[in-house]
Amino acid sequence: MTSTTTELRAPSVPQAAGVPEPLRNAFHIGVREVRNVLRAPAEFLPGLFIPVFFYFIQVGSLSSFGHRYGILNFKAFIFPIGLLFAASNGGAGLNMVIDIESGYFDKLLVTPVNRLALLIGAMGADAVRIFAQCTIVTVVALAAGLDFKTGAVGVVVLIAMATIWGIVYSAIGFAIALKTGSPAATQSAWVIFFPLIFLTTAFAPLEALSGWLQTAARMNPVTYLLQGMRALTLTGWNGHDIGIAFLAIAGMGALTLTLALRGLLSRVR
Amino acid sequence: MDAIEASGLVKTFSSRGDAPPIEAVAGIDLAVREGEIFGFLGPNGAGKSTTVRVFTTLTKPTAGSARVAGLDVVREAQQVRRTIGVALQEAGLDARATGRELLELQARLYGVRGEEPKRRAGELLDLVGLSDAADRRIQTYSGGMKRRVDLATALVHRPKIMFLDEPTSGLDPASRRTMWHEVRRLNKEDGITVFLTTQYLEEADELARRVAIIDQGKIVAQGTPAQLKGSIGADVLTVTVPAPRLKKAEQAVAALKGLKEIRADSRSLTLFIANGSAVVADVVRLMDEARVKVESVTVASPTLDDVFLRATGHRIEGSTQNGEVA
Repeated sequence: MTSTTTELRAPSVPQAAGVPEPLRNAFHIGVREVRNVLRAPAEFLPGLFIPVFFYFIQVGSLSSFGHRYGILNFKAFIFPIGLLFAASNGGAGLNMVIDIESGYFDKLLVTPVNRLALLIGAMGADAVRIFAQCTIVTVVALAAGLDFKTGAVGVVVLIAMATIWGIVYSAIGFAIALKTGSPAATQSAWVIFFPLIFLTTAFAPLEALSGWLQTAARMNPVTYLLQGMRALTLTGWNGHDIGIAFLAIAGMGALTLTLALRGLLSRVR
Repeated sequence: MDAIEASGLVKTFSSRGDAPPIEAVAGIDLAVREGEIFGFLGPNGAGKSTTVRVFTTLTKPTAGSARVAGLDVVREAQQVRRTIGVALQEAGLDARATGRELLELQARLYGVRGEEPKRRAGELLDLVGLSDAADRRIQTYSGGMKRRVDLATALVHRPKIMFLDEPTSGLDPASRRTMWHEVRRLNKEDGITVFLTTQYLEEADELARRVAIIDQGKIVAQGTPAQLKGSIGADVLTVTVPAPRLKKAEQAVAALKGLKEIRADSRSLTLFIANGSAVVADVVRLMDEARVKVESVTVASPTLDDVFLRATGHRIEGSTQNGEVA
């Protein structure tokens, strides 16, 4: 190797002790994502409005119906559904697909940025958004008289559970964005939300469901997630139900995060 | 030592269904010397951007090899990324960020830490004349401003080799001149080796020390602009006639003394001929004898478009001599 060629190369960057470079990369990408979200309120305001609207409409219209079937604290029964509305971000991956379409994603890829950091940073920013939305929705519901069976600690665990679910769910959007690079395809991920949320015990206990709906609900991980969430809001500390809920999230996460990673690999190969 | 090298470089893309694979780059050999501006000239779809994507590690070659600063673009991709600056076609930028934010992030992704990204962003914004717009969102920038901030992002880590993929595409003439000035300055003052793709003949002629002309994935000519034009060894005489009489016109002038080659397109004949000015009268006479109406005759020194025409049989689509898109 001649000295001339060596001069053309970049000097090696000294690696300072402390936070590893991939984590720094993810942090900087995440900060940029959060900043962009804050600059487009139209993207996150529906994520606040819809869950709150849903919760109050359901409480107002179905409380007496719930009482008739023995659900005395209907607010605590229905609140987890509202929270899942807040956590299940239908717009996940959209900013990334905009970057892909505009060519900015390529601009990032020609830098030495850690490839995984691009996904982790974007998903981390999404986690911040989901956490904020879930917290605000919970505060609103508490202010409107939601009685929480497990107290303040339960509130924290519930928000954490919903946020982790939100990250797992958002991985679907990122997987589609990275695999297809198509805004239309990424936006269509929203349709997955409906069977996931409604083919469950969202509005009635498992025993009250019949035929195929009960089978579908039994196979749906969100049924078990709801069971854990309702333990926190409605019935009290139930280690079994809460543990199963986290396991359901982990199972779903293993699938969706694998898909997102495969999408990333196909995009950066 | 060459700053950029390709040897037998091939890139194919698979097609849908039973269609054969598309060979975007079909066996390219080239060498760009340290410190030069190298023009990669060709029409849309010729394989210019695909070649740049291979050199910049965005896509892997199907066959052959490519090296940048002596580094293999596949095996040493991460080191290549640290070494090069890249401004891609269509200036992919984060429209919601301000110019300053974009540059600061870019610097941080290259491992620049502390207060240095802020300082470097300010310095670069000043360099490309965007200090006044530094804190405006990029979505409010004009096309020329976007190109300039894109160029600045490619410079944050002080690269010695830059890839500029059609850097003036879609710009007005004034913005194009500004960009040319900046590219020349980077090359002269900072000694940066520039690999520049373009479909504009004038741009290649003005900026590049050496040019490779690419068509359908293959390099059809390579050399300095003067060498390439000199290789024709003749004047270029263009005769415009009614389209239905083109064949007759070609037959009429086929025996002209000093004629090296004739190329025909839909409305005109291009004659590569020695001492072109002296034979204009003969051409008109021969056309008259063949009862072909001559609409115009021009004689000119060869251009890079003529080099392209001679090598490929067609002109660079969408380009004119002043660099405007037709």
